[in-house]
Amino acid sequence: MADTRTAARDPHAGIVMEAEPETGAKQGRRIDRETVLMLTVPPALVLIAFAAFVVWRQSAEFNETELRQLAWTEIRSLLWQHVKLTVTSSVLVVLIAVPLGIALTRSGLRKFSPFVVGFANIGQGAPSIGLIVLLAIWLGYGFWTSVLALTLYGLLPVLRNTIVGLDGVDPTLVEAGRGLGMSAGLVLLRVELPLALSVIMAGVRTSLVLVVGTATLATFINGGGLGAIIQTGISLFLPKLIVAGALLVALLALFVEWLGRVLEFLARPKGV
Amino acid sequence: MTTDLTKEPERTPAAQEGAAEISGAEIVLEGVVKKYPGQKAAAVESLSLTIPAGEIVMFIGPSGCGKTTSLKMINRLIEPTSGTIRIGGEDIRGQSENELRRNIGYVIQGGSLFPHMTVAKNIALVPKLLGWDAKRISTRVEELLDLVGLDPSRYRDRYPRELSGGQQQRVGVARGLAADPPVILMDEPFGAVDPITRQRLQDELLSIQRELRKTIVCVTHDIDEAIKLGDRILILQEGAQIAQYDTPEVILGAPANEFVEDFVGSGSSLKQLSLTRVSEVELRRPTTATVGEQVAEVKRRAEANGDRSVIVLDSRNRPVGWPWLRQLKGDVVLEPTEDLVNLDQRATLNDALDTMLSSSHGGAVVTGDRDQYLGVVVFDAVTDHIRSLEEQARG
Amino acid sequence: MWDFIVERREALLYNTFQHANLVVQAVLVATVIAVLLAVLITRVPRLEGPANAISAIGLTIPSFALVSLLLTFFSFGSLPAFIAVAFYAVLPVLRNAVVGLQGVDATLLESARGMGMSEVTTLVRVRLPLAWPVILAGVRVSMQMSMGVAAIAAYVGGPGLGTYILKGLTQIGGANAINYALVGTIGVVVVALLADLVLLLVGRATISKGIRV
Repeated sequence: MADTRTAARDPHAGIVMEAEPETGAKQGRRIDRETVLMLTVPPALVLIAFAAFVVWRQSAEFNETELRQLAWTEIRSLLWQHVKLTVTSSVLVVLIAVPLGIALTRSGLRKFSPFVVGFANIGQGAPSIGLIVLLAIWLGYGFWTSVLALTLYGLLPVLRNTIVGLDGVDPTLVEAGRGLGMSAGLVLLRVELPLALSVIMAGVRTSLVLVVGTATLATFINGGGLGAIIQTGISLFLPKLIVAGALLVALLALFVEWLGRVLEFLARPKGV
Repeated sequence: MTTDLTKEPERTPAAQEGAAEISGAEIVLEGVVKKYPGQKAAAVESLSLTIPAGEIVMFIGPSGCGKTTSLKMINRLIEPTSGTIRIGGEDIRGQSENELRRNIGYVIQGGSLFPHMTVAKNIALVPKLLGWDAKRISTRVEELLDLVGLDPSRYRDRYPRELSGGQQQRVGVARGLAADPPVILMDEPFGAVDPITRQRLQDELLSIQRELRKTIVCVTHDIDEAIKLGDRILILQEGAQIAQYDTPEVILGAPANEFVEDFVGSGSSLKQLSLTRVSEVELRRPTTATVGEQVAEVKRRAEANGDRSVIVLDSRNRPVGWPWLRQLKGDVVLEPTEDLVNLDQRATLNDALDTMLSSSHGGAVVTGDRDQYLGVVVFDAVTDHIRSLEEQARG
Repeated sequence: MWDFIVERREALLYNTFQHANLVVQAVLVATVIAVLLAVLITRVPRLEGPANAISAIGLTIPSFALVSLLLTFFSFGSLPAFIAVAFYAVLPVLRNAVVGLQGVDATLLESARGMGMSEVTTLVRVRLPLAWPVILAGVRVSMQMSMGVAAIAAYVGGPGLGTYILKGLTQIGGANAINYALVGTIGVVVVALLADLVLLLVGRATISKGIRV
């Protein structure tokens, strides 16, 4: 029950994905077909699609509004805002969720872990758009409100995977470390975290994807980002803008997902 | 149950072989109790025990008897509820638990190697914690790998998953020995490997102990292992009550009570075979050859001795093969590719029978320290010994 | 807040129902599609890698982007909302269904065939029942995710509680903005929890006692 409920709302961490890091850990940096596929196809796809976009952008006819929105300088600045939103929020997510996850797997605080995860789960059940609007009403429009919403939204996958990853470390290894005279902190640093790292990174990837996608909505509260192109397209009903915006956002998301996968791949300890 | 500790045990390695000096320390448990909150019965109720320096003491008993708990209290992985434990006369609460543990070797079932660290890094862990310099650590790692029979150049940079179960366990032992601690605790160290590998690992442990003479406390559930390895055996009943604490000979010959009798099991005259070491029976010395020698010369020597097979030794006098003469081809003796199963001189006659039964020569090659060649034990020698045991038993 | 809810209780109930309706229908359709696809994939193992890749890529595409993209093909209304929700809903179910179907012990399948069951009978009587817990877990993930997608789909005229959230957004500064946004957001959370509870009960009723954990 707890497991499936935990998986709710987060497609990347359904029971299937939670099993994956474990088998991955046993087989080490085994490069299976799917890994190869996921490490090579998306970036190729992104490149091709982006090239197609460039060609289309240079050759198609646009009206004045479209031209303004699709000016390269404008695209670049929106892209930069989007990246800033994503990176800031993700860094905050990691800085909050990993220590929290570590704390919740220490013996003293472990009993609180189901409550915190359960609460986070219900929170994750709230629609992203609702969270953004509510925070905007409370704190006003802008970049930092958006960052707060995105951070809250991205916490759960990293928190959960940190807990799952640390709990997944063979307790006899922890005892072995203690038995050899390593302090609890040293065991955490040298044994537990390295062994849990790839599971944690899987959570970071999931969270990155959630954050980069949800950052599209930041435009509603003047938080910036590529969502602006789509929003203009919809409110003035300019299909070219909608398509262009959707495409750019999707490409950025795929690229970020790919980066996450590369990180996850590199995080796997060599001997495992 | 009282045990006279002033009495010298019959089978002290030093007395027997005049080997290395004792480097271990005495461990004394006094009225040690472990009670877990919320549990009525104590896991360990008042255990008092002296483990003499330089001996191997085996803790054995039914599951849940508190043998592992007792072991883990010695390095404070479990804190005693009351009572004192002294190592080399010093109360273990006198130093921080981390400091204490760095000076006690700890070997766990399966080795419990850290999978993300190489063999060398695993072994180097405690020396690093103790602040040794890099050169000293690297020398020590090589020394230890050599000691446990793994070629340093081949194995030091491997990851644990690239090793067999037995090799992992060897590295586990090396890690436990790394900082040269006077006391080593072992928790079912050879429980996770197949019987043949277990026998070899036991032999190696005995051979290492002959050199180092540490104080080793080892938990096991295998009475044969206890008899083979232990200078003394501690048999525990529920609540870690001592059923008997004595040498294997006394436990087999004069079990203190019904519990011990049941526990040691029937066929204890057969278990006597586990008491006799290969080194105690007469060894034959058939013809040997060294890798690289002229085949013709070897054959001439063998025929002169009336042998139809020869023991091939490598340049370091370690037996590597046992071919029949007709299997020797070419000009010079090559290193054989077969996996020769050797017996350590501390192996029991039980082990010897096992090994001989699977050998086409009706015998087994016996080795001493660091796999040095000693000779060959043959069937007849073992059956002779059994016969003399039976005669003794009949009086 | 309470007055706000009482005043609008009928519209509120209607929108809640619409939200649930959209999601449940889309998830049902998605489940059927996903299971069929999964059966196909287990028969043609070569498709598994690409299917997983497509599913991962699909889940990466931001829902707002897909919803708006669909808007350019269909007009404002329920249709693009339905398609978007169903699209995302397929992916987790597909992934779990493939794993679930493949996870069925090969010796069981062999013994089923040995008893003379046809391939279809084996699928219906052995494979699907044994894979069902895993598939259902995928459906629960899908359901939760779809609740959020449906809320975003309100932006292109989709029905449901998302409309309240958007009203809250457009009326920011107004007296009722917070009420609208809160009612919409909490409404979705409540519907999601209820739906999950229902699926849990469905699991109780449909998962064979022999394999329940």
